[in-house]
Amino acid sequence: MKVNKDRYERMKKTGSIHYAMEIKKNLAEITDDFPDNPQSMEYFYKRFEEYTIGNLHEGKKVIASMCVHVPLELIYATGGTPVRICAGAYATDQIGAEFLPAKTCPMVKSTLGAVYLDILPGNIKPELIVNPTTCDQKKKMGEIADEIDKPFFTLEVPPTKDSEEARQYWNRVVKKFVKKLEQTTGTKLTRRRLKKAIKTVAKAQAVYRRFDQIRRSAPVIYGKDAILVTNSYFFDDIENWTIQVEKLNQELEERIKNKQTVGKANSPRILLTGSPSIFPNMKLPLLIEKLGGIVVNEEFCSTSRMIWDTVAVDEWFLYDMVPAVADRYLKPSTCPNFTPNTDRERKLLRDIKDFQVDGVIYQTFTGCQLYDMESRRIGKILEDNGTQTLYIESDYNPDDFGQLTTRLEAFLDSLKNKK
Amino acid sequence: MRKLKIKRYIDNSNVSRFRFWIQIISFFIFVYGGYFFIEIASRLPIFSCPYVQGSPGGCYLIGVQHELNTTWESMLSFRGLGILTSLGIFLLFFIFLNKAWCGFVCPLGTLQDWITKLRKFLGFSFTRYDEMSFKRLKSIKYILLVLLILIPLGIRNSFFGIHVPHGMHTPFCQICPARIILPLFTGDTSQIFIDFTDTTTIIMTSLGMMIAALFLVGSFVKKRFFCFFCPMSALQYIFSKISLLRMTKDGDKCTRCGNCYRVCDVGIREIADDIISKNIVKDDCMLCVKCVEACPEDDCLKISFAGMPIFNASQEGFFKRYTGSSLTEYIKSIEPNKENENESK
Repeated sequence: MKVNKDRYERMKKTGSIHYAMEIKKNLAEITDDFPDNPQSMEYFYKRFEEYTIGNLHEGKKVIASMCVHVPLELIYATGGTPVRICAGAYATDQIGAEFLPAKTCPMVKSTLGAVYLDILPGNIKPELIVNPTTCDQKKKMGEIADEIDKPFFTLEVPPTKDSEEARQYWNRVVKKFVKKLEQTTGTKLTRRRLKKAIKTVAKAQAVYRRFDQIRRSAPVIYGKDAILVTNSYFFDDIENWTIQVEKLNQELEERIKNKQTVGKANSPRILLTGSPSIFPNMKLPLLIEKLGGIVVNEEFCSTSRMIWDTVAVDEWFLYDMVPAVADRYLKPSTCPNFTPNTDRERKLLRDIKDFQVDGVIYQTFTGCQLYDMESRRIGKILEDNGTQTLYIESDYNPDDFGQLTTRLEAFLDSLKNKK
Repeated sequence: MRKLKIKRYIDNSNVSRFRFWIQIISFFIFVYGGYFFIEIASRLPIFSCPYVQGSPGGCYLIGVQHELNTTWESMLSFRGLGILTSLGIFLLFFIFLNKAWCGFVCPLGTLQDWITKLRKFLGFSFTRYDEMSFKRLKSIKYILLVLLILIPLGIRNSFFGIHVPHGMHTPFCQICPARIILPLFTGDTSQIFIDFTDTTTIIMTSLGMMIAALFLVGSFVKKRFFCFFCPMSALQYIFSKISLLRMTKDGDKCTRCGNCYRVCDVGIREIADDIISKNIVKDDCMLCVKCVEACPEDDCLKISFAGMPIFNASQEGFFKRYTGSSLTEYIKSIEPNKENENESK
């Protein structure tokens, strides 16, 4: 789809302005409307301030990715720097709407819009944009991206993860992906580099797991901050991220010792699940926490699902390391594009127990069929478990603010009364 | 809830390294122990092969084949009691270590692990059975077990008028690679022969030679190649549930990430996919505990002895083993570099 150059420039100009405004406004809401933010969060706030103005990973070969199925270790090991570009901005969502039907998932539209206008996090210039086929909308987005001459690479994700056939198929896809990466970056995958990449990512995972553990043990950090921490994993230098999360962990542990908690004693502990809240779309977590709830855990593909699971290798050679990395990005995923997806149910029940969750809020983006379709089954399971659940359909448009507030208030009140 | 210091130390430890040394020690005891006047027992649940001159004991399979080479009548006499005593002794040993006899003690198992090490050193990839072959080949060990019981019985008794020729005595030993390969470690090459007494012995001993060769090639391309067909493993599995050493799995904690399956030398799929069974020791398992080491979920996989926890899966242990350093050490090592880098920006 070709638009004339003038129009494109205009779109880019206004789009960028709206985008920058949206980011500034939402970030201010996150930082200024809450008292007593952890000191170590400053680093993360700053990262998001630089979102529109920075020159992230300058001079490096950036490989943009979407979803949780893109093996980061392989990107690092072939000399690339991965940046996940799944977008949460309403400004780019409106641009994406030029290409896709109105009732498409806002995240897909927003991402496409951002790719189209080249306003990606930190103004990166990706050499390759890896697009996993995790839902129909992503697939069609890939086709459109080809039309607008963006360097898309389709990573074929199988529709199931349980069968051996799917595993073998995925293994081959990953091998092909390695070839593509090698071509793009000009660096060959070697045993040493991959081993180092696996270990670097494992360290980030270890530090994240500690962060998670802290959130289990006491409410010392708001969910809105936690979401920023995991969100910055999308684009931050992984070693810097590890160091900073460790600093945050230490501060939070101090807070546990001093009993310096957030919220009140009767604040309902909320678990978020469903379509992911990605910065700057922090509508839901922000509202919940302003209304007196605390988001203690998010079962999102932008948070724990992205970082939690680890790679284990038996023989540290490429013949075992590459399939090991491939397995990690398939087997433990709780993405609803897989059938069956009982692992998601089990994970939710486990999290509800571990995080002493009072209520679950299930978010579905308008047009996100997969989460929508799973919502009924998950809702039933949560009900049987005795967990109150609120189902919310929303998108990136800030218009439903009033309606959301009413519903969330009622839900949180009913949880408070129970406590 | 803080873990006891000693428990944490053990859960963080590298059991594979410990196992490596235990295997070396056991190998020396079960191949050369006899030279140092070590006597253990003759009904052991491992391939402690009496054909090895320095062997300090015997394998239960050779015992059972000799014992059953008898008539039905004599089995009802005191001889039957002997057969039961011998089984009892086997169980007495077995009950302590369960299938860890295979993973930690059996010299033939150790030898395969060494061949694997050689393959790794040369940088060759391993192979794995696909799902179908795995299921199909799985039953071979049970067939061998049944045969090694029925054939000796068939020598002295008749099954529907058929008598097994005497040359088929101790049929499994005749084809067992341990008989041929383990004596080589004491410089004894006398087991490499074909017995030309009669047709039966020619067939059996040539089969034995072939299997020994297959053993060497097979364990080079596949981890624990022979264990998959081992009738001792089948026999052990029958009694596995009564053993004091247990491996259990808490399915609720499992994310089915498949780490355990990936490191499993024998390729047991259930370890990753089964989230219902509590007792997760399968017939091919040798309790090498690599899966517990590779499990990053706290207390998902557990090894216990008589109800006492010995070694549990833990996050901390996983990251320590797989990344080679603790988090604090790592941060210390990268922090200065990163600071310089950020400043120069």
